Amino acid sequence: MTTLRELAQKFGLAIEGGAPQELRTQCAPEEFLGAVTALAAEAVLADLFAVTGRGQPSLTVVFELAGDAEWLVLRTQLSGDSFPSLTPSTHVASWYEREIREMHGLNPVGHPALARLRLHDWPVGQPPMRAALERRLDVGPGVPSPVPIVHGQGVFQLPLGPVRSGPQESGEFLFNSGGEDLVAVSQLLGFKLRVVERLAEGRTVDQALMLAERLAGVSAFSNALAFVQAVERAMAVDVGEQSRAARTLMNELERLHNHFGDIARLADATGLMVAGAQYASLKEEVLRHCAALTQHRYLRGILAVGGLQAPLPDAALHALRRRLADWLRRSERLERLLEDTAVFVDRVETTGVLTKEYAAPHNLVGPIGRSTGADRDCRRDHPYAGYDRVTFDVLVKSQGDALARLSVRLFEIRQSIRIIEQVLEAWPGSDVAASVSAPATGEALGWSEGAGGETLHSVALTADGRIARWRARPPAFVNWHPYAEACASGNNLTDYPVIEASFGLSHAEFDR
Amino acid sequence: MSRWIALGIRTGVRSTRYPSRPDPEAEIAPSAVTVDIAALSAVQALEAADMCPTTAITAAGDRDKGSIAFDAGQCVMCGRCVRAFPAAFSYGHGPEVAVHSREALRVAAHWADGSGPAVDETAVTDELQRRSQALFRRSLHIRHVDAGSCNGCESELQLLGSPQYDLNRLGLFFTPTPRHADALLVTGVVTRQMEQPLKDTYEAMPSPKLVVAAGVCAVGGGAFEGGFMVRGPLDRILPVDVYVPGCPPTPLALLHGLLLAVGRAEERYRPGGGPHGA
Repeated sequence: MTTLRELAQKFGLAIEGGAPQELRTQCAPEEFLGAVTALAAEAVLADLFAVTGRGQPSLTVVFELAGDAEWLVLRTQLSGDSFPSLTPSTHVASWYEREIREMHGLNPVGHPALARLRLHDWPVGQPPMRAALERRLDVGPGVPSPVPIVHGQGVFQLPLGPVRSGPQESGEFLFNSGGEDLVAVSQLLGFKLRVVERLAEGRTVDQALMLAERLAGVSAFSNALAFVQAVERAMAVDVGEQSRAARTLMNELERLHNHFGDIARLADATGLMVAGAQYASLKEEVLRHCAALTQHRYLRGILAVGGLQAPLPDAALHALRRRLADWLRRSERLERLLEDTAVFVDRVETTGVLTKEYAAPHNLVGPIGRSTGADRDCRRDHPYAGYDRVTFDVLVKSQGDALARLSVRLFEIRQSIRIIEQVLEAWPGSDVAASVSAPATGEALGWSEGAGGETLHSVALTADGRIARWRARPPAFVNWHPYAEACASGNNLTDYPVIEASFGLSHAEFDR
Repeated sequence: MSRWIALGIRTGVRSTRYPSRPDPEAEIAPSAVTVDIAALSAVQALEAADMCPTTAITAAGDRDKGSIAFDAGQCVMCGRCVRAFPAAFSYGHGPEVAVHSREALRVAAHWADGSGPAVDETAVTDELQRRSQALFRRSLHIRHVDAGSCNGCESELQLLGSPQYDLNRLGLFFTPTPRHADALLVTGVVTRQMEQPLKDTYEAMPSPKLVVAAGVCAVGGGAFEGGFMVRGPLDRILPVDVYVPGCPPTPLALLHGLLLAVGRAEERYRPGGGPHGA
């Protein structure tokens, strides 16, 4: 089996060090397109981002490869504000390049569909991640980007959002319909754009960690974990065994409450109110255990560089241990009931299909990826925290419908409980953060497998240990890309709530 | 389907009795930070302001002369001050943290001549008659708008419909249309791109109407105040009747905020100590 190191060699890229599990390499801007195209054909493009600040702008691509625990980080320094688009040869680059264009003002020449991604009307020439805008909001209105619509006899548009019907996140969807069927769905995202990564620049690591925890609410821990691990790797800080065990435990608790919550929403969307109530009840119970362990229901304020802010109390750990069997028993009973409920299975089976062939070039992650045949899981492929010490299985399905996404989540609930049991069985006791000595400059990747999937962050530190650049690529960024296609795959208008709930995509993670 | 009904019946009633009775199990998570400023020395006050990742704790001056202010409307409850100065900063667990005025979430103190901080007199005015609240005492229909939240507040709002909280038992309902809404519940810092949809929703609501700012982002801007593409806290855009601090506010704190808005609950929280925190 080839490794990333061998691939880099094959394409003449010299490895220049990097943090452990990280191969860093550079190439000239004119070789960039060729190198990325060649690598993307054999490896998985996991992230593509720009850095613009003082000096020349640069582009960075992160690759991973099945069966290889390392990451390959390829960077090129651009000589101007444009670069040849990777999208015609590497489809997954499309949204990354649209993001780079509007946030950094770098132009991907030859991109086939260069519409706005998040910015609705920001004036051209003032990209928020680049310009040092003194009065950030006092720019005049720009030109709104048109939302594509379908024309044809009898085709009409039905808008949904940005203010939704219940307590939900803001996002706009335009249904193009001929009456019953969903012909196409146009989406307008980015309403909640806060430019969180820009806000962190120049702050201390500790202050930026608070922001990383607030990038997204229900995936606060996995994003903060990816961030804090990137910092630790950049500073070459060792994390104690106790903290690693505690991080594994909390990563799985977050997965549990997310999956319970997502399934509750799916059950509600299909009109199965008892199931919705039962799963919401389970989610609330997990959150209460999180609060007892960390003083926060969404596990904020517990991570620290080098370890944890505070030890996990023994009483709360005992209470959690006693509760696990009950959660497993109840979720298995609910799973059997769901399988036996024909009206439910009818609503989710073949609904919102993302075929394996369509999904593959999008490099999808998490349960959505694993329901379309993408066999990726950071916990297994790039073990972090204490995942090298626990055994668990990863379910991969290929149907790509709402049922497959549900099956993967149901399976992962059982695996999460299994992992938590193993962590508690071998519990090494709780400790607090190792005191981190002199700040170190450096740059590194950090990753975690959140409930939504692979969460990949990249942090560069200044000489005095502050944030020079923080790049967050949460799972929702990747998984929103094929969403509209899944909505239009022969579904009716009434299927939409089911499709949306079965994806469970975070707007906050995408908008940032 | 009969098995689902049987399961529902067998599960029994799981709902909290709040507000008629306190619910210790739902109060595990802290709902606000309370400070006893007099327990801080001048140096500690300056240190606390330095470690606060938002502008919840601000201080200026030196050992001899200076001032400190704590604003619960900016506190994301990261716990840094609580762990560093447990004698002064503490977590409150009761759900009664919502207040009517933004000023009620602030406490300030100053020191001079080397003495410890002395708490400033604050002028929190309790308006006796809140506009229109009597109208909605029995039933309130709520239109929620996410103006730029991280989804933490939405997660808690969704859980208000879970068996443990069941907001409908109190006559509170989420409504899909602003035309039927009595109250606007806003979460998140108001972003540039959500400002217009937020204003449109408010305009579409019939008068009289209440506005509730839920979570520190909507109350004071929280972690994102001063950010790019961020307009700021809700009261820069709309008149606010009730502020519910918290990051996110716990479901019970949200219930208390809604009940406070319609005059069915008392305002109790004071960041400098009081019935809730002291």
